[in-house]
Amino acid sequence: MNIDKNESAVVIIGSGAGGGQMAHQLTKEGIACVCLEAGPHLKPEDYSNDEWSAFLQMAWLDARGTSGSWRVNKDFPGLPTWLVKAVGGTTTHWAGATPRFLDYEFKTRSTYGEIKGANLLDWPITLQDMEPYYDKAEKAIGSTHRHGRPPLPANNNYKVFANGAERVGYQYYATGPYGTNAEPYDGRPGSIQDGFNFQGDKNSSKWSTAVSEIPKALKTGLLDLRPQSHVVQITHDSSGLVDAVIYVDANGDVQRQAAKVVCVAGNSIESPRLLLNSASDMFPNGLANSSDQVGRNYMRHMTGSVYARFEKEVNFYRGETMAGFIGDEVINDPSRGFVGGYYMETLALGPAFLSSFLDPGAWGADFAKMMDGYSNIAGMWLVGEDMPQSTNRVTLSDSIKDQYGMPAPNVHFDDHANDIAMREYAYGKAEALYNSVGAVQIFRTPPYPSTHNLGTNRMSAKPEDGVVNKWGQTHDIKNLFVSDGSIMTTGAAANPTLTITALAIRQGEYLARELKKGNL
Amino acid sequence: MKFTRRNFLLGTASSSAVASIFGAVSIAEAKIVAGSSSTDRKLIFKMIRTLYPHASFPDGPYERTTDDVINKGNADAGKMIMMRDGLRDLADASFQGLSFKNATSYLKSIEGSAFFNHVRGTSVVTLYNDKEVWDILGYEGASFDKGGYINRGFNDLDWLPEPRIEEHPDHANFFTATQKRLAAVNQNNINQ
Repeated sequence: MNIDKNESAVVIIGSGAGGGQMAHQLTKEGIACVCLEAGPHLKPEDYSNDEWSAFLQMAWLDARGTSGSWRVNKDFPGLPTWLVKAVGGTTTHWAGATPRFLDYEFKTRSTYGEIKGANLLDWPITLQDMEPYYDKAEKAIGSTHRHGRPPLPANNNYKVFANGAERVGYQYYATGPYGTNAEPYDGRPGSIQDGFNFQGDKNSSKWSTAVSEIPKALKTGLLDLRPQSHVVQITHDSSGLVDAVIYVDANGDVQRQAAKVVCVAGNSIESPRLLLNSASDMFPNGLANSSDQVGRNYMRHMTGSVYARFEKEVNFYRGETMAGFIGDEVINDPSRGFVGGYYMETLALGPAFLSSFLDPGAWGADFAKMMDGYSNIAGMWLVGEDMPQSTNRVTLSDSIKDQYGMPAPNVHFDDHANDIAMREYAYGKAEALYNSVGAVQIFRTPPYPSTHNLGTNRMSAKPEDGVVNKWGQTHDIKNLFVSDGSIMTTGAAANPTLTITALAIRQGEYLARELKKGNL
Repeated sequence: MKFTRRNFLLGTASSSAVASIFGAVSIAEAKIVAGSSSTDRKLIFKMIRTLYPHASFPDGPYERTTDDVINKGNADAGKMIMMRDGLRDLADASFQGLSFKNATSYLKSIEGSAFFNHVRGTSVVTLYNDKEVWDILGYEGASFDKGGYINRGFNDLDWLPEPRIEEHPDHANFFTATQKRLAAVNQNNINQ
């Protein structure tokens, strides 16, 4: 449907895990909305089975700055994150892992205590509050191993991973829960194990909002989806309520859409940037920023990868990329030298990306030997909770501007000592696992440009501690919501998409109720 | 600025600063292409072979990578000057005649220079994105149009036993009871 630009509409900024889900939840309740997506409307037939082509087709490559001691700042200074600019957002790129947060991961300040340098805070909601929404999110995504959905079969990379797990004494390994159909579900087919996943799934077996929630919302006739519409500012009226968004359309023309409610879902980099770029006389520090927490507490998960070469063939690039989990290390056991825990998850890259990311900057005989054994490589990703730090922060760059002349975001990140201790420990455990099944050469791969970006508009009980309340509604402006991973108070060990989805379903129900009651 | 795979891999700040200084110089008018002589090509070729030494790779992929290093190294005047200077240094060091070991040592000594970063950064992308290299490494490339690997070996590894794919029967307990117990233990530790 077409919504008039002068009509005060419900406006959603972004169409990924948060925004796409909001569009579905609201239109399902009969509420019309405008969804502004910065990227193009890519369809499965547009996706490419080629790492570099796909990256250049969909990655968010607008100008950005980086700073801090993290290695990404050295190796990829123009590319702090690996996110998608297209309808469906980063659900186009996501691998598919759907673990839930654990009970204590919603109350880390109480569980871990005071950690020097960490800005820990308990969430204003608990696992019990979230459980019904986790159920709904798992059903929406079609997670394997849940609600009667069958597991995916073992692929070659998983066989190495799971046998190693068994030999080092791990028990809690499986091929899921994973957001890709093992058999047909929700109108989408079962996986054909084509090995392309980060590039968008041409077979649509992988859940994304681009193939699920957005088409469903469009079918209601209540969604005005506007691709290539890059929001540059949110404006407000004299009472301090937001009243419109300003965006640049596909032709480069500046447009204004009047709004009665705005849901910001541009991810943890663009969402705080937009709030900061919307500063006004009434809100000189940016919208919803009376706490000064907008952009702070940026988290990107403790990550790292381990790739191991074996004497025999693995062909790890075949099959579902991340359909392998080990949960045994997801415990809070400070005797290991750090708080919080981490998952081990299978991961595979083609030669093009493996060569660039295996050990950025590396060259010479050892590197070539590893690449020579490409067919014999197995790989895993290590993903764990990182500490929120006030100084890890998205700010407006004072030197870099984007293609529209707006200040670009600068992403500052320093690893916390806890993150480093966890990464070192995890590397050791991953090496032991691969050694137990006969690894002959191992690489410890540093973090990639961030795919999990969290915490920059965090949820808090008290307005002075964070940006949004327990519904994702900003403390300062009642008709301004944040609907993406930036609202996470802390990051837990789990891959975030399931939790972003569950939070968006919960927020969507709340917003629909409030709109129907006439409270907004 | 157009975003290419290479300028994010290399970073952009220094090269664009140089480019702006020499922005007025037209490459076409200057009619200089750094690295185009056969001597220069051989130096670049040898440098790439030394950086990424694969006995199994024929000359073809290295030749194509050499072309790319030369083309991208002439993208603007600043890069062209960087290329010309780097090649002169290689020639001065008699790089062409060095053994693999000595060539490696020499490259170690220039690691981090703009020229080194350009050649290495371009090569790692171009060489390992070469379809002939993929064949040699055993990577099969695009697979959707062949029906994926569901019937073509996604699970053909047979040197290890078939593992369990279901979750462990105690999975739910581990993620709830164990966590609560651990949290309680930690709480006690904090309180003590």
